[in-house]
Amino acid sequence: MRTAQLIPLLFAGAVGVLVSFGEVPVEPVKNPFVADELKLPPEKPALKLAAGVERVTGNCLLCHSSEYVTTQPPLLRAQWTATVEKMRGKFGATIPTNQVPAIVDYLTANYGNESPPK
Amino acid sequence: MSRPTLIKRLPRRSFLRQGAALGLGASAIARLFAEDTVTLPFLNGERSLVKYPQKRPLIRLTTRPPQLETPFGVFNESLLTPNDAFFVRYHLTNSPPRAELLQPEQFRLTVKGKVSTTLTLSVEELKTRFENAEVIAVNQCSGNSRGFFQPRVPGGQLGHGAMGCARWRGVRLADVLKAAAPEATAKQVIFNGLDTPFVPQTPDFLKAIAVDQALDPELLLAFEMNGEPLPWLNGFPLRLVVPGYYGTYWVKHLNEITVVDDEFKGFWMNPAYRIPDEPCGAIDPGTTPKRTIPITRFNVRSFITSLEEGATLKAGAVTPLRGIAFDDGHGIREVLVSADGGRSWRAAELGKQVDKYAFREWTMPFTPERAGKLTFIAKATNRLGQSQPMEPLWNPSGYMRNCVEPVNVLVA
Repeated sequence: MRTAQLIPLLFAGAVGVLVSFGEVPVEPVKNPFVADELKLPPEKPALKLAAGVERVTGNCLLCHSSEYVTTQPPLLRAQWTATVEKMRGKFGATIPTNQVPAIVDYLTANYGNESPPK
Repeated sequence: MSRPTLIKRLPRRSFLRQGAALGLGASAIARLFAEDTVTLPFLNGERSLVKYPQKRPLIRLTTRPPQLETPFGVFNESLLTPNDAFFVRYHLTNSPPRAELLQPEQFRLTVKGKVSTTLTLSVEELKTRFENAEVIAVNQCSGNSRGFFQPRVPGGQLGHGAMGCARWRGVRLADVLKAAAPEATAKQVIFNGLDTPFVPQTPDFLKAIAVDQALDPELLLAFEMNGEPLPWLNGFPLRLVVPGYYGTYWVKHLNEITVVDDEFKGFWMNPAYRIPDEPCGAIDPGTTPKRTIPITRFNVRSFITSLEEGATLKAGAVTPLRGIAFDDGHGIREVLVSADGGRSWRAAELGKQVDKYAFREWTMPFTPERAGKLTFIAKATNRLGQSQPMEPLWNPSGYMRNCVEPVNVLVA
């Protein structure tokens, strides 16, 4: 190893000693379970672009990601209505009453069935 | 009845072929390549395989809060489900709790309410103050296999991968409760974790059990899973372990235990996580239950893990069949296997019972005689004589599926 490379290393060592034994408190041992790499992957909303999508995005996606909608089987209008009312009544979603029809229309048209399959 | 059971992994090449056949442009094909995908064998079953912290790529049901399913092939690799493959289920938006809140300097468990001494304990204090105990137990989501319900029901559309078996290590809940000394009037114990909702009016995820059950020495406050600290997404640094009971009771990031002298009536006990008050929790498909009760213990289940739906076997060659069975802790007495859709059965050989709450391995060598189609079915019975129905049972929440799961193969 050349001297030019050694000098910064020696410097770093000296600084390390100073930090460890000086006024600065010794850093606690890092718990591997709270380390910086505990980052969740990004969310990618993937709702079909159709009439009413902005109401679903603006209301439903405040509390949960879009797969809560997109992975459902084709639900009937009555089931989507019950789901939206459950979110409002039981989960406290602040969806204004006048937006409910448009949201149910969107969900039924894009992720549901108007009537049971024959 | 032929019901596909195993997750069928679509190889990338088949996407390329499909993409080319559909005349998709290069960018569309590139998009298909961006993430590995699996298709669970029910309508709308396409899912991404996504890597999360401390996890291998798992089947993603939802992103926020995260819900991840174990690829079924994992269950054929070992009886203990590896931590990095173990399923993840959350309810509230702010899940998992931020890592800072879970650090040893921050995290404390409080035991309070109708007790003579309120306790505030770090995980280290729990470990050193109370005797450590272990159990090898299955944790299974109430809605495991919901995607197979017919008629389909709303809720998390899961395949069979919302289950897993692990060695849990912790301290006995009973010992900690006794140290706090519940008052004579104590009736129930409520468990709360650090996950929180987006809006305060959403009910916090609280679960309750009777005091008598809480004093059962089998229940653990677990800090380790398969010899390692709990993964972040499985409840680090502390979770409740209730062997034989559905995962809804296994509260993660558990920081608050409250003893009460009445019956807790929170949303997650009522109306959520309830089954019809009928034998097997089942009612006629598509109907509404008259009365409901909280979901509690597992029923009997078994799976063939060594064969994928649609696999090809060689006539005249020995095929080692393998699978798993489990129940709520009475123990598996017998696993029968049929190769002809249930007309004739042979007893499989049971592996060692590592714990009455654990997956029990079964094996059976099988030699297909001639070319054709075969339908394999495994059916387990526990020591109480409880078994699995040949046809699915139904309830409106999609809980507790435990019918036999046939696997169709081709013999060539």
